[in-house]
Amino acid sequence: MEIKVALAGQPNCGKSTIFNMISGIHQHIANYPGVTVDKKSGFFSVGDIDIEMIDLPGTYSFSSYSLEEKVAKEAIINENPDLILNIVDASNLKRNLYLTFQLLEIGVPVVIILNMCDVARRRGITIDSEKMSEILRCPVICASAAKNEGKVEILDILKKTDEIKKNYEEFKINYDELEIYISEIEKTIKVNNELSISKRWLALKALEKDQAIVNLLKADNDNIDEIVSAQTDKFHDTFDRDVESFLASFRYENADVIFHKCAQETRRGELTFTDKIDKFVLNRWLSFPILLAVIVIIYQSSIVFGYKLTNYTWPVFAAIKNFISDITPAADISQIPMITDMAMWLTNSTIALLNYLPIFFILFAMIAILEDVGYMPRMAFILDKVFRKFGLHGQSTLPLVLGGAFVGGCAVPGVMSTKGISDDRARMATILTVPLMNCLAKVPFYTLLLGAFFPKDMSIMLFYISTVTVLAALIIAKFLTSTVLKSRETAPFVMELPPYHMPTFKGVIIRSFERVWIYIKKVCTIVIAVAVILFALLQFPGLSTEKQEHYNQEETKALAKFDRAVKKSTYYDKVDTREEVAELLNLYDGYRAKKMGGSKDVDEKYQAKNPDMYKFLVPKADAEAKKINSALRKLSTDRNRILREQKNDKIESSLLGMAGRALEPISQFAGFDWKINVAFLSSFAARESAVATLGSIYESGKESGEAANADENLRPEERMAKNSGYTPLHAASIIIFMLLTPPCIATMIVVKMQTNSWVWMCFGMFFPFVLALIVSSIFFSISLAASISGLAAMSWYYFILLAIVVILWFVPEKRINWSGGIKGNKI
Amino acid sequence: MHLGLIESGNSCKIKALHAKDKLLQKLLDMGFVVGAQIEVIREAPLYDPLELRIHNYLVSLRKSEAELIEVEPWK
Repeated sequence: MEIKVALAGQPNCGKSTIFNMISGIHQHIANYPGVTVDKKSGFFSVGDIDIEMIDLPGTYSFSSYSLEEKVAKEAIINENPDLILNIVDASNLKRNLYLTFQLLEIGVPVVIILNMCDVARRRGITIDSEKMSEILRCPVICASAAKNEGKVEILDILKKTDEIKKNYEEFKINYDELEIYISEIEKTIKVNNELSISKRWLALKALEKDQAIVNLLKADNDNIDEIVSAQTDKFHDTFDRDVESFLASFRYENADVIFHKCAQETRRGELTFTDKIDKFVLNRWLSFPILLAVIVIIYQSSIVFGYKLTNYTWPVFAAIKNFISDITPAADISQIPMITDMAMWLTNSTIALLNYLPIFFILFAMIAILEDVGYMPRMAFILDKVFRKFGLHGQSTLPLVLGGAFVGGCAVPGVMSTKGISDDRARMATILTVPLMNCLAKVPFYTLLLGAFFPKDMSIMLFYISTVTVLAALIIAKFLTSTVLKSRETAPFVMELPPYHMPTFKGVIIRSFERVWIYIKKVCTIVIAVAVILFALLQFPGLSTEKQEHYNQEETKALAKFDRAVKKSTYYDKVDTREEVAELLNLYDGYRAKKMGGSKDVDEKYQAKNPDMYKFLVPKADAEAKKINSALRKLSTDRNRILREQKNDKIESSLLGMAGRALEPISQFAGFDWKINVAFLSSFAARESAVATLGSIYESGKESGEAANADENLRPEERMAKNSGYTPLHAASIIIFMLLTPPCIATMIVVKMQTNSWVWMCFGMFFPFVLALIVSSIFFSISLAASISGLAAMSWYYFILLAIVVILWFVPEKRINWSGGIKGNKI
Repeated sequence: MHLGLIESGNSCKIKALHAKDKLLQKLLDMGFVVGAQIEVIREAPLYDPLELRIHNYLVSLRKSEAELIEVEPWK
């Protein structure tokens, strides 16, 4: 037998803990089209019954005003469950019963699970569940999911589903004055027979002007709007009350009755544990230091510690990379097959993103803990005033911090954590500004530039970089919310501050894995697709025939050099053909890569694999082998040089290179040449590649011979300072561009996920790009004309943004559009 | 008088709601119904929003919204 069970409850009632306790591990998460709220399903069996359990989003009510409510209600209507499990927070009974009454009316059998009974007991609340079961005529179970209590009882009830369904009689509340209007509508409306929902409930919802239900009824009743408004008007005229207010009051009164009949509070008025903690956490003077400490802890444990963990995960990825390079066709001296090139490119792009998994896992775990503990809404409570001034919301705090409000975060979890923001306008503004923060991968880029051009003023520049992003984000958020996002819906800041709870280990781990898994699935697939496109853009049209000829000659020269050096060796017969040399060279490079990658028993493996050639890799006391070894080293260096030059030539003549050149007429005002443009364009794939691209472009100094050798020993930043011909002002302009520059692909994918729109994703890409180009052009041109130094120009930029923020702070807020003030709207 | 005028630590009772549409529905769902008792616990560190206790749970409300709730002092 199969049954379907829906799990419903108010936010913070411990629904997920119950779900985790009884559903086992077979779950899947469905994302509704057009909606960012998840619906989770779990599959498991009790005895011979297969159960599908649908975990609905937590809702305070069943009206249609929020996304969660819509999803929850649609799931009930469409999935047609056999049973509704209503999770109720026993320590907050009265308000939770408000939803219970709405669920009871749906016409599906309800089972009430009083969760957190232990917490209630601690707070001196005892509940007579039998009495409650009698009054509400549905099973009531006491449980405490955090302590694994109540699992058996719940499973027992699920086994009896059939019995419950057979004996079920529709639950009705007598709404006194409203009754005649309800039955009037019930009589008039026609309902599709396939719909198994109570007609009375549909009538009630229609009376409440529930848009989703009204739309559902429209199919069979063209004039539903008139039917409903006729009745609501009549009710309003007779009793001078609105239906919505009447129903809410009525349900609360009923909840009150149940509460007084079934629950006893012995410690009313005493300070709870939560009250005591809030005295410190929300204290006017202590709240900010505590908030700062929490942020520092999150930051340290995820970004800093997580980054250290990547040292342990990296060898795994390096091994995968080596494996792939082993199975792809080998290179023939300086000619690398395109399939190999592409496989390596894809591997590198994917690994660059997967490398952050430890950071993400810790971050997601920390967020889950903060959510469970109940600190998240308090964080919003503390900072709402600041963010509201700029069109954001108190709940924007965490996304911005995770994105890297201080140097070093990641926009991916930042954008993902915007999910909970109830205010749609602020949520969109947050999603679009989080990518402006300083992500971890931008840091090497800054370090490179600061090291090259601001060695003396590094600390002050770093201070500017780390704080200017927040200023820019506030200004941009204000700009976006008063322009493109102006018509977006806002939501009132009516937020529950739930009691503090200890998080459960299992819950935290499950949730972090879920989120990491979503990241792996969604991000990787699309990242690979984009990497392919970028690869093509960098490959084609490829080298010209003359250039190719030039590199062929270079290769011949290098080979001839090698040949001369090893001719007199007794081992010459082993390396006298091109194939043999190519094989040896590949062997040598592979050996070095693995040795440097730190994998163990490399020597044994290579010795076993190819004992003949191994002596050239590690010559030991063999003088003849040493000769070949040193020639081989030189050949390897030559080969790498040729490959590098070839690659740079290829980049320069590639489509992306052309794009970089095409941008030059515009970007020159910002002080960028085509090389920087290419670096920025390629950094879109993953931020890290900006440094890599810049590095590889400046690696190839134009000098040859000794000068180039001397260059090899310079650190990248020194090389850049020497070879690029840039001034500190150029560098400052590049930094400002980078501060505002569009997010990487992974971030764009989560922006797409969270906004559910390709349009917003494209906006999120092009808006910062254009803005960054304009701002850095203005910055560079003015500073150049006024001949200000890089540092002074940066200071000016910083203080101008600061001034704008201060001015915006004092701009009076517009009256919020959903507030009203009409008298007579009394209850 | 409206809820925004109640000082921290004092209680009041809801007389009427002057909000509309979405805000009204949200307030009702959170238990802001006529006759409900509200205790103003504290202001946020930056003086806005407010922390309230209603039906024995804690909720935060901006002052601009609190002004739409008509109350009378309790006790």
